[in-house]
Amino acid sequence: MIFGDLFHLALENLWRTKLRSVLTTLGVVIGVGMLVSMISFATGIQRNVTESFKANDLFTTMEVVGRGAEPGSALSEVVQGSKDERVIDDAVLDSVRALPGVELAYPEVRFPATVRLGGKEARTTIQGVPLALGRYRPFDEFRYGRFFTSEDERAAVVSERLLSELGVRLADEEASGKWRRSPPEGTAVVPADSILGRDIEIVVPVLDGSRLAQGFLTGRFDAPFREEVTRLAVVGIRTEQGGFEMGSFASGVAIPEGTARSIPHFEFSNVWQALDATRGAAGYPALNVRVRTADDLGPTRDAVEAMGCNVVALADQLEEFKRSFLIIDALLGAIGVVALVIAGLGIVNTMVTSILERTREIGVMKAVGGSEGDIMRIFFVEAGAIGAAGGVFGVILGWSVTRLGNVVVNHYLRPEGFPPEDLFDMPPWLVAGAIGFSIVVTLIAGSYPALRAARVDPVTALRHE
Amino acid sequence: MLLCITDLRKTYTRGTVHVPVLHGVTFDVADGEYISIVGRSGSGKSTLLNLIGGLDTPTGGNILVGGSDLARMTRQGLALHRRHTVGIVFQSWNLLPSRTAIENVTIALAFGNVPRRDRGRRAAELLSSVGLEHRLSHRPAELSGGEAQRVAIARALANRPRVLLADEPTGNLDSATSDGIIELLRRLNREQGLTVVMITHDEPAAREVSTRMLRLHDGRIVDEIRPAQGGS
Repeated sequence: MIFGDLFHLALENLWRTKLRSVLTTLGVVIGVGMLVSMISFATGIQRNVTESFKANDLFTTMEVVGRGAEPGSALSEVVQGSKDERVIDDAVLDSVRALPGVELAYPEVRFPATVRLGGKEARTTIQGVPLALGRYRPFDEFRYGRFFTSEDERAAVVSERLLSELGVRLADEEASGKWRRSPPEGTAVVPADSILGRDIEIVVPVLDGSRLAQGFLTGRFDAPFREEVTRLAVVGIRTEQGGFEMGSFASGVAIPEGTARSIPHFEFSNVWQALDATRGAAGYPALNVRVRTADDLGPTRDAVEAMGCNVVALADQLEEFKRSFLIIDALLGAIGVVALVIAGLGIVNTMVTSILERTREIGVMKAVGGSEGDIMRIFFVEAGAIGAAGGVFGVILGWSVTRLGNVVVNHYLRPEGFPPEDLFDMPPWLVAGAIGFSIVVTLIAGSYPALRAARVDPVTALRHE
Repeated sequence: MLLCITDLRKTYTRGTVHVPVLHGVTFDVADGEYISIVGRSGSGKSTLLNLIGGLDTPTGGNILVGGSDLARMTRQGLALHRRHTVGIVFQSWNLLPSRTAIENVTIALAFGNVPRRDRGRRAAELLSSVGLEHRLSHRPAELSGGEAQRVAIARALANRPRVLLADEPTGNLDSATSDGIIELLRRLNREQGLTVVMITHDEPAAREVSTRMLRLHDGRIVDEIRPAQGGS
């Protein structure tokens, strides 16, 4: 009997017991749907993290810090005693720039500040960036405005999120519907052109010598600081284009490196850095290094470490992430597999019942020339058809669950100003694999009933009522 | 000889209980013969037919069909025997109730690996040859007993068997309908040279159509009759 006949017979048999077939298939659909949505979630997270690493050039960037300059090292120095240090100075910067794989190296200039605009203020981080960074993301493209034109331009690039905190929303972005929630009371919705060219005030606290002296005289040290205010023109606005961003550029203010150096500021943003700073070692807190390709990262790291510096590369974290993803994949996949195995038991039950009902029919088929192999194949194809249908509809169910998941998550993300996220990934291998796995599970489940049907004694079967 | 049965024995065993049904049955059937086997209920007639049909296996003895011994065949070999060498007709027709008359015939053709495009035409021809050209699309429940048995005969002939085995083909039919079925079997025997081995209670009918009549009693052949008017 050819496969077409077997398939035709199997479908007819399933059609005869429609309700039972549908219920059995439904079990498989739910199992496959669970499996697909869970693995889709795990692969989606993995894809998002990998893509964000790529988007933020984390495979080609690293940070160089002085040995003994890791966060909190001043405290450990107090506890454990002094140790050899390597300060990041211009000599180190020049050596790093001379390495063959290095495309760009620049010192870290970053400090906390208060930003004021139109009578409102927000706390943020000021980042000094070299002009050369204009060739790279996220500064190579601007929807509103431009990048800097010189190292000491009195200019700033602000993020859309910071503007929101300052009570300003861009009219075009508002019209795009990305902000689901209405702007808070007092928020101005304005065109980007009305922000570009306006001055923002960058306010940093600096030690005031006269107030400090006064404190010594009066015994009151409650306000030894004064505000240093710098006005910079907003030349560019960064909007979030989708995908979550990592690093220090996602929010805050970027200003030219030379301009940043001209603003007096503390070189620390937390107590550990403050403690480290008290050691008085001259130099930069860190260097930002960009290598030409991801393959250059390893050799460059080795060369920099040979100089006595430490390297922090987020790309290292990806390997850790991947290990974690494997565990998550396995756990989520296992839940789906259990559901599918339960569905498989349903198939065994359904088919064994079916054999009892069709015993006489099996006897007749044997009497007219059906071999054990033919009978077995008929039941196998029936199980396989349940598996195939369950697989296809299960994938559709799983896909629907992932779409629903995205809708629900984005419903909560978008009002907060986050771009829409696709949390799930459904690559072709997952679709094909799920359907294939479903068929394999149902064939395994159908093997016992099929064997039992094949072994039915024709004489006994023909007498069966 | 088409069929050589020698010292055929069959004992059913259930646990420690052994029930002997056939005690060394021996007879031959020549190509084109019409053999009727008569006997009381429990004499072993159906068991004998099941063994010749390859539905069951003997405890001892030989069944040579065209030179091949059924007693030595594998289950696959017996399936091929049922598919190509014999056609079996049952007292209760044993049609598949969910399928139409033509589908009941085409399923046998499918097992016989007849190409799909030829099956419909061949099944229709077979049903026409038994007088059912107007009943092709009817399900068994929509057919009379005689019509259902004709469908069963058409199905048995689907793969052009050498022997037609009929187990009380008229047992569930009224006498007029029975006559029609017997006449159909005789016509197949005479016109197509089909060898027929029929089990029946209806001795007068058997005498009328058979070339030989064997009487089975307690698992043994006790009488062999050659009716003067029977046969071709």
